[in-house]
Amino acid sequence: MEKTNTDFTRRAFLKASAIAGGGLLLHFSGLAKSVLAERGIDAASPEWNELTGYIKITSDNIIKIICPNPEFGQNVMTSLPMVVAEELDVDWKKVIVEMGPHDNTKLGPQFTGGSNSMRMYWKPLRQAGASARQMLMQAAAQNWAVPVEELTTKAGEIYHVKSNRKGVYGDFAAKASGIPVPKDVNPKNVKDFNIVRHSQKNVEGTKIVSGKPLFGLDYKHEGMLIAMPVHPPAFGLKLKSFDASQTLKMPGIKDVFTIKLYEDGFEQGGFDTRTFNVILAVVGKTTWEVMQARKKLVVEWEPAGDVTNTMQGRGGGKREVIVPGELESTEKQMEKMREYASKPAQLLRKDGDPETAFKNAAQILERTYNAPFLAHNCMEPMNFFAHVTDEKALLVGPLQAPGWTQPTLAKVLKLPADKIEIQMTRMGGGFGRRAYGHYLIEAALISRQAKAPVKLIYSREDDTTYGIYRPMYTATYRAALDENKNLIAFHVKGGGIPEHAIAANRFPAGAIDHYLAEGWEIPSNITIGAFRAPRSNFNAAAEQSFLDELAEAMGKDPIEMRLELLKRAKENPVGKNNEYDVDRYAGVLKLVKEKSGWNGAEHKKYSRGVAAYFCHNSYAAHVVDITIKDGQPYVERVTSAIDCGIVINPDAATNMVQGAVIDGIGNSLYGGLTHKDGVVAQNNFHSYRIIRMHEAPKSVDVHFVQNDIDPTGLGEPPFPPVFGAVAGALYKATGKRYYQQPFTSPQPVIPTV
Amino acid sequence: MIALNINKKIYHIDADPETPLLWVLRDHVGLVGTKFGCGVAQCGACVVHLNGEAVRSCVTKLSRAVGKKVVTIEGLSEKNDHPLQKAWLELDVSQCGYCQAGQIMSAAVLLKENKNPTDQDINDAMAGNICRCGTYLRIREAIHLASELQRKGGGNS
Amino acid sequence: MNKQISNRRNYSSNFRLLIVIGLLCGGIGIMAFTMNKDNSLKVVKSNSLSPIKKDSVTSVKAFQQVYTVLMSARCMNCHPSGNVPLQGDDSHLHTMLPQRGIDGKGVYAMKCANCHQPTNTAGLHTPPGNPNWHLPPANMRMVFQGRTPRQLAKQLIDPKQNGHKDLKKLIAHADDGLVLAGWNPGEGRTLPPMSHAAFKKAWLTWLNTGAFAPAK
Repeated sequence: MEKTNTDFTRRAFLKASAIAGGGLLLHFSGLAKSVLAERGIDAASPEWNELTGYIKITSDNIIKIICPNPEFGQNVMTSLPMVVAEELDVDWKKVIVEMGPHDNTKLGPQFTGGSNSMRMYWKPLRQAGASARQMLMQAAAQNWAVPVEELTTKAGEIYHVKSNRKGVYGDFAAKASGIPVPKDVNPKNVKDFNIVRHSQKNVEGTKIVSGKPLFGLDYKHEGMLIAMPVHPPAFGLKLKSFDASQTLKMPGIKDVFTIKLYEDGFEQGGFDTRTFNVILAVVGKTTWEVMQARKKLVVEWEPAGDVTNTMQGRGGGKREVIVPGELESTEKQMEKMREYASKPAQLLRKDGDPETAFKNAAQILERTYNAPFLAHNCMEPMNFFAHVTDEKALLVGPLQAPGWTQPTLAKVLKLPADKIEIQMTRMGGGFGRRAYGHYLIEAALISRQAKAPVKLIYSREDDTTYGIYRPMYTATYRAALDENKNLIAFHVKGGGIPEHAIAANRFPAGAIDHYLAEGWEIPSNITIGAFRAPRSNFNAAAEQSFLDELAEAMGKDPIEMRLELLKRAKENPVGKNNEYDVDRYAGVLKLVKEKSGWNGAEHKKYSRGVAAYFCHNSYAAHVVDITIKDGQPYVERVTSAIDCGIVINPDAATNMVQGAVIDGIGNSLYGGLTHKDGVVAQNNFHSYRIIRMHEAPKSVDVHFVQNDIDPTGLGEPPFPPVFGAVAGALYKATGKRYYQQPFTSPQPVIPTV
Repeated sequence: MIALNINKKIYHIDADPETPLLWVLRDHVGLVGTKFGCGVAQCGACVVHLNGEAVRSCVTKLSRAVGKKVVTIEGLSEKNDHPLQKAWLELDVSQCGYCQAGQIMSAAVLLKENKNPTDQDINDAMAGNICRCGTYLRIREAIHLASELQRKGGGNS
Repeated sequence: MNKQISNRRNYSSNFRLLIVIGLLCGGIGIMAFTMNKDNSLKVVKSNSLSPIKKDSVTSVKAFQQVYTVLMSARCMNCHPSGNVPLQGDDSHLHTMLPQRGIDGKGVYAMKCANCHQPTNTAGLHTPPGNPNWHLPPANMRMVFQGRTPRQLAKQLIDPKQNGHKDLKKLIAHADDGLVLAGWNPGEGRTLPPMSHAAFKKAWLTWLNTGAFAPAK
């Protein structure tokens, strides 16, 4: 049996500690207990004493820390428990870490996205660790009848020096679990950390290298069937009819049917994106049998026409959105973008009098940047296990935000939320894709229809052609220079299908007297979603490329030019709501300048590009060094400077930045998804090119700004500026500017202005 | 029933001989360390050893494996102490981890055939394995480290 | 001219797409190629039932047809100018850059047969298969890519560039199953520009009329 302290004080603590949980902390359902019991996780340890939702200790001193947030490679399953362990004061090597169940009441918001994991859990987890330590000391003080103030702890042991007594946490855990959770326990001074800020290895490293079942695709359940989807082959088509007679004759096949994701008028939340409302499901015994049988389906598709989606309004209420039925092609999309770019757009920000400034300019630099749709290409294709009955639902698999999908699931299945249990497996990549739980809803509906536990598996092709892409973007940047080549005005007008990327309050807004930002959008049936650093991943390519070209036009070094603008923004900021911290922005530029040997000997050896960007609360700058290898530009070396505040797990953080840099190089050079008559042209890795070993640089040298600022995220911020730095280095290597992503695609000829 | 030698054990498999080894391993035998990534031999997540060669199990039919020795990530070493596994842990290579079994199985063939690979050898051996998280630098370093461990007699192979 | 060609290290022991009628093979005794000064083929010893009748016009015309086949993606992709095979109907560099290796069968974890099975794998963009899938070996690279008709014709009949093969060996070697793979390329791939039968006819015509090389 598990002891769970449910007294009011403790709950109040949880409420206070899970600050980012917002309205999710409504009631404690007792669900987590039953969940754990059902999963058999605690079967071997009969007496888990729970101290806060994040810590469990047995009387024989087994210490378990629960990771609240789903793990998709950003290493939160290590870094978040490290924070708890630091404040709890335990020996990290003896701690067991376990992924928590979905329980927003106990475990906070539990979403992996927006580089928010560490940022939103930093304070609650420190509080949890420090409070639990305090509770254990209080229990020891009671046992030993000494003042709690006289007790000290070290690595999971409590000491009373005066009486020469000591004990391990396990000795006091049972008693401590009954003590009200104290409020406002002071966490450690960050200077005293000995777990956090020290590199700790991935807690699942051994399981990964030995092939243990960790991922959704690996999950097995008694009597589990396999289902695969069949969705329309093109955006803008829908199911007309199907003949499954041949499919049903194939070995192992149980059933073929359609499912409808949302009933008409269903109010979709922001992450309820679905591309195809009705899909076919083929259900059978094994994956290969289902794959084979699926090929025998005879399906007729028809134009979907314009579709009206009902969306939850941001401030309550609802709104109707019309999704056009057109079968889109990339050339036509480009044509439309050019057309929209010349029309009036929505004003996003205006400082000073940009129109007049441009009129009076001695020189105007104008450049347009384009970027294609991008698919996430998570290595583990979308999948989810579901066992849905009339009474309850169990769902297990890879998902970034169970708390966002559960309410949708409750509505779709017409089950109370507390009858829906979602367990999160390790994810084989996410990059934003798994914030959209349509595949989980599909799995649930298939299980209900099949009356069996079912694992829904997307093939790679299903995954790549489903949608939920990084949008297709364009932006035109203009800069006005006076006769002394001073920058007097700046104008960005950006658009996209189906949304634009412009972040109007970011640098260089605030640094230029006359500034104008505008945006426009083209509706589309091609669904989009968050993709590693949404919007920023385009902006940092376009804007940073433009700044590079602008610096050249101004006759300035690209780093010095940026630093000068930042100095202006610091000393005499223009406008309001400037989103960035000038000093931290300048800090990463200065650090990358120093560490890359900018203007030093390396300048002769390499074609170098630089870019810096601020997004998702952290700052990143890169210098990319290109050489020519086999006649092709090759990014041989990258120097990175990052400011994410306190670096929780330095080696893992370095790994994250290195990965983001390589992802940035790959996507900038090769990434892109095109359409012809609504059909995706790249449906697997033979045509959707992902960076490979031989294209990865020899080194990515990562440097962190050292400060004691509360930590912010690292999954996204290093990614966007890579694009700009690669573009700048390519220019140095080839003498050509790169305006069209991916950079290996044909580049438009731009007249010199 | 088809007899198959997997990780030095004989399994009797009730599956169509046309079934890819990947799905035999995952769905029939229950060894899920071998991953499904693309299904068309493009990504390398499904690499296993067939008589010592790094075949892509997603396109290798069960029939081809009959009478041969199949080794999966689960059978690469007795105690997870293959020099590559040690090096992978030492350098904390993994991010999401999904591709890493395939990476290690590919690297194992490289190290078997080339005791001291250069960066170019690593490129030539590993360009078939995609890591979407971009851990290539650490994979490269880990292969160098493993070759060093192997030369020093560390690890069990 | 001969010297120039023989100095190149572009050899092959493997004519993947040379199809020669079995009947003809049966009648051939000891026979070898040497080069005449006019670059046509000279029969040294033969008890063949089909002695060569030199006809440079017919021969060159036939080779032009042979050439379109050999330079099609199905043939050229495995006779690249570099050490990486080509792929697809547009003959782009094979993704993941598999290397030729000494024996033409790849290297380390990237050996041809790791993906290319004994038979074609079903489905679009899956690896085509053959029990003997490989490139020409490193010491006999037999490059097609980039060769002019004249260069390729001379290369094909030069023993120093065709694996030191006499006609018998050449014919016998050309008759292996890998050759036929060109006309069984797997789903979604275009076929060579003419039928297998038409190709055979052109190939034999070219050989039987003296294997003349085109002027360019």
